Amino acid sequence: MEPLQSHQYEVADAFEANELFQRNGWTDGLPIVPPTEPIVAHFLESAGLAPDAIVGIEPVRRRRIPAEKVAIAAVMAGCRPEYLPVVVATIKAMCEPEFGLHGVTASTGGSAPFVVVNGPVRLSLGMNATHNVLGNGSRPNATIGRALRLVILNVLGGIPGQLDRSTLGHPGKFTFCLAEDEEDSPWLPLATERGMPPGASAITVLAVESPHQVMNEWTHEPRDIAETYAAAIRANMLTYSIWAGNYAVVVPKQHRQIFAEAGWSKKDLRECVYERARVSRREWRTVGKSAVAPRKDEDAVYTALRSPDDLLVIAAGGPAGGFGAILPPWYGRKSLAVTKGIDA
Amino acid sequence: MTIKVLDPRLSPEGEAARLAAPLASLDGALVGLLDNAKIGTARFYDHLEAMLRERFGVREVIRRRKPDSSRPAPADLLGELSAADAIVSGIGD
Repeated sequence: MEPLQSHQYEVADAFEANELFQRNGWTDGLPIVPPTEPIVAHFLESAGLAPDAIVGIEPVRRRRIPAEKVAIAAVMAGCRPEYLPVVVATIKAMCEPEFGLHGVTASTGGSAPFVVVNGPVRLSLGMNATHNVLGNGSRPNATIGRALRLVILNVLGGIPGQLDRSTLGHPGKFTFCLAEDEEDSPWLPLATERGMPPGASAITVLAVESPHQVMNEWTHEPRDIAETYAAAIRANMLTYSIWAGNYAVVVPKQHRQIFAEAGWSKKDLRECVYERARVSRREWRTVGKSAVAPRKDEDAVYTALRSPDDLLVIAAGGPAGGFGAILPPWYGRKSLAVTKGIDA
Repeated sequence: MTIKVLDPRLSPEGEAARLAAPLASLDGALVGLLDNAKIGTARFYDHLEAMLRERFGVREVIRRRKPDSSRPAPADLLGELSAADAIVSGIGD
């Protein structure tokens, strides 16, 4: 393999390596695994990547992202070498123009890249798709998502208060990655629905605001469950952004069983939410936005989704509990979900 | 026994992205106002423009509005602002 190009700093030990990275703002605030040349080289070799291979080019500032820097971020984040292809596929996806990487990185709106992993790679990496799926506890879920943030920080300059102008941000900016529970779902996997061959390993990435949990454990009617998700989306349209785009919903097993018993596919759920997640501008008056409601026709109806296809339906979560989540888009259609195969 | 760690940044030297030195005075200056295309910005800049002219003796103001609040300003628009001695560019609304 070609030698690595990154400058090297000599430090006393792993503790001092972390101190150096913390002092220089090269981490997200959490400690890092020291990226030494042998470890980074091993990651690149495992993934069959040359250090200078360009993983992607950020479309606005034209930053070319070399594999070496992605591997450094993956080591720092605590990844194992076999996670690197998932990180690389996600960076590639985030560099597609429709993802709008510059905008989602820089915006006061403060979104995070949310990654859904499909296919056999979920099992080979031991990813979590069940208990506490939006929370802590799974090394691949946690470190793959974190590696993306470290690339944004160190390679793209997405430094809070500098290029990253987020007013709040949200906890998903540390890491936000899960696997879909394909084995325990009656539905097509997300990536398959979005055009990947069945059985392929793939990621889907979407810039999202913080997840909002919904709860409905008091019905066996699929339409009732769909109404609960739609209501949370309507609330987001009024209190956050009225603009249509890719929303995601995470649907736990208890809800999936109700849909499955009634014969509802993901498509049926999408169509129901498309019909029900609508607000009029006039409703802005109920949430303190009277000043802008009359700027256009107040009776005009806004849909959360441009079409039913805009809704990403993800089967994940623990086996018990009627708790799902909606994940709102950063800013309507200004950033769209991207699906990519994983070269493993 | 020490260890060597790799620099995680793309360009350790950094890029030329510093703010220009402030003007000694705004008197007689040409000031650019870059509008981020959000709802309240135009009104805010109306007020700012009046202040700049009346209280600070600004000679001329060039105002340009981005076509899209969530995307960078196009190069030709920035070119039109390049004649200014100082530019105000804001975020948020």
